Amino acid sequence: MKALYIASTGMSAQERNVEVISNNIANMRTTGYKRQRAEFEDLLYQQISRAGSTTSDQGTMLPAGLEIGSGVRTVSAPRVMSQGTVNMTERELDVAVRGEGFFMVQLPDGRTGYTRDGSFERSADGMLVTSSGYALEGGINIPADARSVSISADGTVEAFVGNAPEPMQQGQILLARFANKSGLESLGDNLFIETPASGAPQIGVPNADGTGNLLQNYLEMANVNSVTEIADLIAAQRAYEMNSRVISGADEMMQSTTQLR
Amino acid sequence: MENAQLISLSRQMALQRQMDVVANNMANINTSGFKAENILFEEYVMPVARNRDFQRLDQPLSYVQDWTTVHDLSAGAMVQTGNELDVALSGNGFFAIETPAGERWSKSGSFQINANGTLVDLNGNAVLGEGGPIQFGPEETGILIAADGSISTSQGPKGRLRLVEFADPQELTREGSNLFAGGTPVAATGTRTMQGFVERSNVSGVSEMAEMIRVTRAYESAASMTQRQDEMRRTAIQRLGEPNA
Repeated sequence: MKALYIASTGMSAQERNVEVISNNIANMRTTGYKRQRAEFEDLLYQQISRAGSTTSDQGTMLPAGLEIGSGVRTVSAPRVMSQGTVNMTERELDVAVRGEGFFMVQLPDGRTGYTRDGSFERSADGMLVTSSGYALEGGINIPADARSVSISADGTVEAFVGNAPEPMQQGQILLARFANKSGLESLGDNLFIETPASGAPQIGVPNADGTGNLLQNYLEMANVNSVTEIADLIAAQRAYEMNSRVISGADEMMQSTTQLR
Repeated sequence: MENAQLISLSRQMALQRQMDVVANNMANINTSGFKAENILFEEYVMPVARNRDFQRLDQPLSYVQDWTTVHDLSAGAMVQTGNELDVALSGNGFFAIETPAGERWSKSGSFQINANGTLVDLNGNAVLGEGGPIQFGPEETGILIAADGSISTSQGPKGRLRLVEFADPQELTREGSNLFAGGTPVAATGTRTMQGFVERSNVSGVSEMAEMIRVTRAYESAASMTQRQDEMRRTAIQRLGEPNA
């Protein structure tokens, strides 16, 4: 009975689906989180008779074939890279990106990480770092006696130091964008790294080069919509149940066969 | 007498296939762009003796034979995703996809852009426009797909998606990976594209469940018929074998 195996592929696909949905829901309040969506495709078909095969000496043809599918598989769970809502936080080191770009972060192993999480902090030596303590690429230093910091839409960081009336420029935040954002690999910690599928980063100045612009005092929330996720969860759970009913249906059929004598 | 058992056997084998089809539909209940399948059966009449001079004529016997699977091409539910590369088709059209084995057709419109900037499906096969694959440059943002399939970005128009329709979509065969093959494609006229939407599978859980129950019950009744035939024969042999019969 193929039906048993076919339905089991359906159950494992829905299990994956629930895993993806529960991770989205778990990260509903994660700054800069991008939700994922499980994508499925049907498996190979067994062609028992092919459409167009000849059915008689007069050359009549079978108008449609007889094909039996063999189930489903999860092909990928691409991230939906749409903009999350931007919330005011009134913290001067919170920066949201409106647009396509990612902040670039130096990872301890020397690689560059990419993130949408702009909740920055000052480290002990005055560097601008992410909330996990990784320095922002470009090394932006904020003097200890800075009264206030301003980050403009194009990424220019300025600090009002001591009693000086004029701000002092401290550097510029650059953004990276990718040909295929969904192809980035997730590292956890709100970080992504580049892969062959994502393509190389194109580094640009905010507000130009199509990277989007920066918004100080704001943070980008996760783009998870709880109502959609719950609806998807219900659909996945029901699909799981129906597939398990198919297994028990196929089992009933087998049972009536084995009871024959 | 054996005929009855063979006939119910043919029914059971057909029902097993039907169960496979139901299972495959159910497994793909969340596959975007999936189209449900139905299986059709045919009566297979055993040839009888042509000579009509016998006292008792040959009785025609009909077996059941699974004959063909048909695609249920009705539209699935359109779900809004907000993803700019999700495209749903309203109408009978299909997307044209370029695979290593040639052109294929698909209803699943959740696309991606690969590292080279080409618009691809979930397996990395290029989605065809009217002039070949659709290529996006690194600077392009704001992809817009109009209702007629024409694509534009911040850098201007990018061509049109190649949408095809079929006079007889039942000629198509399935290949897995959400792809259909074969048929004679003509340029689509009555199909519109909807950006930011995905077409869900058109499998109806309720009717598949009902179908499954019907199949299992029919199978059981065929099995019990086989059993009764067997009992009948056994009793007959016992009675006839009694010494005082």
